Amino acid sequence: MSLEEFKDRNIGTQNYRMLDLGESPKSGMEKFKQVVERSVKLELFTGLKVTFREMYKALFKKNMHTVKYPFEKMPIAPRYRAIHQMKRLLESGHYRCIGCGLCEKICIANCIRIDTRYDENQRKEVSEYTINFGRCIFCGYCAEVCPELAIVHGGRYETSSEQRASFSTLEDMLTPLEQLAEQSEFPGFGAISPNADENVKKTPLAY
Amino acid sequence: MDGYIIGTIIKAILVLAIISALAGFGTYIERKVLAFMQRRYGPMHVGPYGLLQIAADGIKLFTKEDFIPSGANRLIFMFAPIITAATAFIALAAVPLLPEFKLFGMTVRAIVADLNIGILFILGMMAAGLYGPLLAGMAQRNKWGLIGAARTAVQFLSYEVVTGLSMLAPIMIVGSLSLIDFNNYQSGGMGEWLIWKQPLAFILFLIAGFAETNRTPFDLLEHEAEIVAGYATEYSGMRWGMFFIGEYANMITIGFIAAIVFLGGFNSWGFLPGGLAIVLKVSLFFFLMLWVRASWPHVRPDQMMWLCWKVLMPLAVINVTLTGLWMMV
Amino acid sequence: METFAFYFLSISIVALFAVTVWSRNILYSMTSLAAGMVLISGLFFILGADFLGVVQLIVYVGAVMALYAFGMMFFDATGVVKEKNAPAMTVFILGGLTALMLVVIFAAPSIANGAPAFYPPMAGANNPQAVGLVLFTKYLVPFEVAAIMLLVAMVAGIILAGKKMDRSLSKIKDAELEGGEAKDSK
Repeated sequence: MSLEEFKDRNIGTQNYRMLDLGESPKSGMEKFKQVVERSVKLELFTGLKVTFREMYKALFKKNMHTVKYPFEKMPIAPRYRAIHQMKRLLESGHYRCIGCGLCEKICIANCIRIDTRYDENQRKEVSEYTINFGRCIFCGYCAEVCPELAIVHGGRYETSSEQRASFSTLEDMLTPLEQLAEQSEFPGFGAISPNADENVKKTPLAY
Repeated sequence: MDGYIIGTIIKAILVLAIISALAGFGTYIERKVLAFMQRRYGPMHVGPYGLLQIAADGIKLFTKEDFIPSGANRLIFMFAPIITAATAFIALAAVPLLPEFKLFGMTVRAIVADLNIGILFILGMMAAGLYGPLLAGMAQRNKWGLIGAARTAVQFLSYEVVTGLSMLAPIMIVGSLSLIDFNNYQSGGMGEWLIWKQPLAFILFLIAGFAETNRTPFDLLEHEAEIVAGYATEYSGMRWGMFFIGEYANMITIGFIAAIVFLGGFNSWGFLPGGLAIVLKVSLFFFLMLWVRASWPHVRPDQMMWLCWKVLMPLAVINVTLTGLWMMV
Repeated sequence: METFAFYFLSISIVALFAVTVWSRNILYSMTSLAAGMVLISGLFFILGADFLGVVQLIVYVGAVMALYAFGMMFFDATGVVKEKNAPAMTVFILGGLTALMLVVIFAAPSIANGAPAFYPPMAGANNPQAVGLVLFTKYLVPFEVAAIMLLVAMVAGIILAGKKMDRSLSKIKDAELEGGEAKDSK
């Protein structure tokens, strides 16, 4: 299945066909007729034919549905909400997070903890940032509320671990510096809309 | 006399060993065939083509904790799976599995006990086998189990009439209850197979056979989508395994009966020798059971009773009457 | 060998039926009844009456299965059934006398005459044929009467099973189920 097909959730544009069931019989005679008709027309064997055809396809035309999972993976939807990522500023490489604490406030599972302090330049610095993935419900509110697009959802969905509470720190989630060039914006929940530039307005400072 | 007893014991052990191995292999075949029909691979990582999956399953079943629920009737709970497995193999004792062959200068008949009422004995034993699910369901103090047990009773009382009546017509034609006589009656090649004389009885017996082995269109006893696992809900480990082996042994038995009574048995078929022919026929029936499981939905209990009492039984009676008239004329 | 088998089977049968009578657990009672019936077929096999043995097996398996269905409906299968038999003495005396009378009635002729076989095994006829010959000559009328009775029972069975099947239970209105005022919509 291609990604395009996978994303198409619009029922009606896909190749669905309505099943013609006819009218259900009312009187006893009609029911009897239906039974006889179905037995004589051997409708049941259509089902057998279908499964045999599928087996033929699978065995001799190598038309298998199975995704051999650990070795090959299905494409996931771009808006999929898996393990978080912290983004960096492209120019300086510094993390984008400004330590506003909105994500901690909005988190309904109370799994984000953020602590800030002043650094030597009297600027706000994130001293501690952890997400408890044992509690996180991957609702996406943190990504939506983040004003700097600093915390977003990534595509890493294999999250099994040996402990109930496995934490991730800021360093774990930050884009590695050497991969900064490949850092891409998250197109999903909380991302800026494609026409964001048009919506930019001057801050009304008139009053 | 001593030689006879020793021979019988050897045969019994051989049948037990081979058929239980085949039952294990049957689970592998079933999983593979069902997988292919749904365009999947089935088991493929344990051993070549997943063949060692049987061994893995066996180890799992043997080492699993044998669990008895606290409210259950312990004695009967422990006893029930043995009934299913034992009756399945006792029924196989009266089935001629292969034609006679010579081994070390002795003529060996591939049947453990040649009863002159073979077919009745087999059907009776397979009927007694349904006590396993019934007792299991009633003893485990579980609602799903109880529903499974009730369905066992319903199913048994419905299909048993059809099985008996559909077998009656071929029995009338052959004039014997011995499966060997059935085989010899059809020794004249494919044209003499009883399926041509009794097509209706064949279809009826096949349908009743599906009900007897509780395979898919009639797997009311343990239909997972409705009643968790029915009579086997509380069972685990080897006790559950015994139900499983019993079910597969019953499938093989039904395959043998259908092959011997309707499809010419172990007579040589064209260029095929008899032993190979009957193995092919039984495999065909086994495959048919899996094929049907992959294709058809299962019926509701009331539909099953409707089918057995209102459709199949009158048809079977008509068939017996017509056969009687045809034999008189 | 045969004597040993006979005594083994007999003792087992008596013991199993004793369990049937005395057990207060419905499951034990019915299971021992079924097992006893199966063992009785063993007695037939010892006597060389294979056909009757298998018929015993098939018939009683089905009959006791129906009994299980009733037991399932009326009792808690894993619990103990509380019986109420107030005039225990009367029941004991009446039941005991009836049993004694039955034993005397059936045992007296064979004690007097030494149980002669009315229909000794025929040469050349195997088991089912021998049964058939007796059934269709000497006992033709009882056989036919029984056949008609079974036919009646079969028809009744179909009617009982098929009574409500033309109406789907899920389509019956709730008010109709609860109120009891059967307003048939059809």
